[in-house]
Amino acid sequence: MVMKRRTAIIAALSIAAAVVLILWKPTVLIYGLQAAGLYAAVAIPMGLVLGIVHIVNLAHGEFMMVAAYAAYFGCKALGMDPLLAIIPTAIVTAVFGWVIFQLTIRRALKAPELNQLILTFGLAIAFTQTINLIFTSQTYKIPLDYVSASMDIGDLTFGVWSFVFVAVAIIFAYGVKFFLTKTMTGKAAVAVGQNPRGAAIVGIDVYRTYGLVFALALALVGAMGALFLTKSAIFPSVGSPFTMKSFCLIAMAGIGNIPGILGASVLLGVSENFLRAFRPTRDWAEIVFFVLIIAVILARSLKGRKS
Amino acid sequence: MLKIQNLDCGYGRMKVIDAVNFEVGAESVGLFGPNGAGKSTLIAAVMGMVRPWKGSIELDGKRIEGAETHVIARMGVALVPQERELFPGMSVQDNLILGAAYIPHAKDHTSDQMEQVFSLFPILKERRTQYAGTMSGGQQRMLAIGRALMSKPRLLILDEPSLGLQPSIVAEVFEVLKALKSTVSILVTEQNVRESLRAIDRGYVLENGRIVLEDSAEGLKTNPHVIKSYLGL
Ligand SMILES: Nc1ncnc2c1ncn2[C@@H]1O[C@H](COP(=O)(O)OP(=O)(O)O)[C@@H](O)[C@H]1O
Ligand SMILES: [Mg+2]
Repeated sequence: MVMKRRTAIIAALSIAAAVVLILWKPTVLIYGLQAAGLYAAVAIPMGLVLGIVHIVNLAHGEFMMVAAYAAYFGCKALGMDPLLAIIPTAIVTAVFGWVIFQLTIRRALKAPELNQLILTFGLAIAFTQTINLIFTSQTYKIPLDYVSASMDIGDLTFGVWSFVFVAVAIIFAYGVKFFLTKTMTGKAAVAVGQNPRGAAIVGIDVYRTYGLVFALALALVGAMGALFLTKSAIFPSVGSPFTMKSFCLIAMAGIGNIPGILGASVLLGVSENFLRAFRPTRDWAEIVFFVLIIAVILARSLKGRKS
Repeated sequence: MLKIQNLDCGYGRMKVIDAVNFEVGAESVGLFGPNGAGKSTLIAAVMGMVRPWKGSIELDGKRIEGAETHVIARMGVALVPQERELFPGMSVQDNLILGAAYIPHAKDHTSDQMEQVFSLFPILKERRTQYAGTMSGGQQRMLAIGRALMSKPRLLILDEPSLGLQPSIVAEVFEVLKALKSTVSILVTEQNVRESLRAIDRGYVLENGRIVLEDSAEGLKTNPHVIKSYLGL
C-alpha cells in the first residue's frame, strides 16, 4: 500500500515534469530520453554482472570500447554497415569476455571484493593503453546517412536515430529479466548470486555459471559497441565514462533491479540535458550523475535509519 | 555406498579430522559429537568443499576426494547443510526446482518429486510462492530437506537437522527421516542424540576429530560413555 502510493507519487511527478518540459524545452526531453537509452543499454549488462552474480567489473566501458574498435575495423575490412556487425561483434566480444574471465577474474572471485576492483581496474587501463599503442589516440568514425535522419514537429526539428538506443535498452532490460526468471540457466545464475555454496550443493557448476553470465553480459556489451559506432567517433578512452555512469545507474536503481535501470537512466539523461540547455549550467551536466548518486544514497540511508 | 578411509583434513594448518575411518551402507547412520568435534568438516570433505590432506573417500567404489561439489552432487549425494544454504530471494518452488534441475537422474522427474516433498511437508505447498528467506527457521529446514530430496539422492546427508528447532518440529523432522530410511542411505550428524537414535541403525561418536566409538543404535543407547556425555542420564 505504502509502496503503491510512493510509486503513484513518483509517476505523477514524472508526468508533470514531462509535460512541463514538452511545453517549455521539448528538446531536453527528446535528447534526454535518447541519452537515457544509450546509458541504460550500456548499464544493463553491468547490472546483470554486478547485481545478479556480484562481480565488480571496472573495465565495463573499456570492454565496449574494444568491441567498438573490433566492429570498426571489421566493418572497414569488409565494407560492412555497423548494423550488420552487431551480431558478429556480440559473439566475438562474448568469447573475448569469456577468455578474460577464465584467465583473470575467475581467480579473484574467492578473494575479497577489493581484489576484483583492482584487477578489473587494471584490465581497464590495459585495454585503453593497448588500443592507444596500436591505434594511437586518433578518432575513428564511420559516416552513415541514416544517422542524421530527423523529424519535424511544428517548428521543432530533432534527430531520431538515437531513439534506437531506447528500443535496445528496453529489449535488453526485458530480455535479461526474461532470462533470469524464465530460463533454468537464468535461475541458476540468480541462485549462484544469492548463495554460491547452496548452488554447488544442488549440482550447479558455479564457476561455469559465472563465466556464462559474464559472457552473456559481454555479448550485450559487444552489440552496444557496434551500435555505438553508428553514432559516435571512437577513441581509446571513449568507454571510461560509461563505467562510472553504469555504476551510478545501478546504484540508483538498486542492486539487482534490472528494469529499474531504465527509470534511473531517464532521470540521468533528462537532468544532463536540462543543465546543458542553459548557458550558466552547461558545464555542470557532466557531473550531475555524481550529484544524483549522492542524493540517492543519502535518501536510502536515511530511509534505512528510519525503518 | 560411502567409504572413508584414514582421512585427515582441516583448515590452514589446523588439523580437524584425524585418521577417520567411516562407512555408510544401505542404512541410516548417525555421526555424534560435541560442538567443534569436526562433524561439519567431515561432511564438507565428503561434499568436496574441504580438500582432504590424506586418505580416501569412495562413493560406490569410485574415489571422489578432491572432486568438485557439483560433481559429487550430480553423483547422487544430497546435503542438508547446517546453515541450510537456501536461495533466500527465490520462491520455495524455485528452490525446490533447482534441487533437481542440475541432477541428471532427477531433472526429468521434477513434478513427481515435488508432489512427494509436498506430501512430506504440506507447509511447503502452502508457502510455495513465498520467498525462502522470509520463512521461519523450521520451515527453512524443511525446505532444505525438500530441496535435497528433489535430487532423488542415493545418499542423503543432514548436518544437525534439529539445530535451533522447537521440539515439535524436531520430532516431525525425525519422523520424516524414519520414513525415508527404506529408500535412501542416510548420514545424519547430531548433538541431539536422544531423538536421532530413534531414526538410525548405527552410529559413530566423533571427538576432537577422531572416531572414539562405533556401534549399533541399541549398543550406543546402553554405552556408558554415550549415556554420560550425550544422553545426560
Ligand atoms: N571454515 C573454517 N575455517 C577455519 N576453521 C574452521 C572452519 N570451520 C570450522 N572450523 C573449525 O574446525 C573445528 C571443527 O568444526 P566443525 O566441523 O564445524 O565442528 P562440528 O560440526 O562438529 O561442530 C572447530 O574448531 C572449528 O572452529
Ligand atoms: Mg557442525
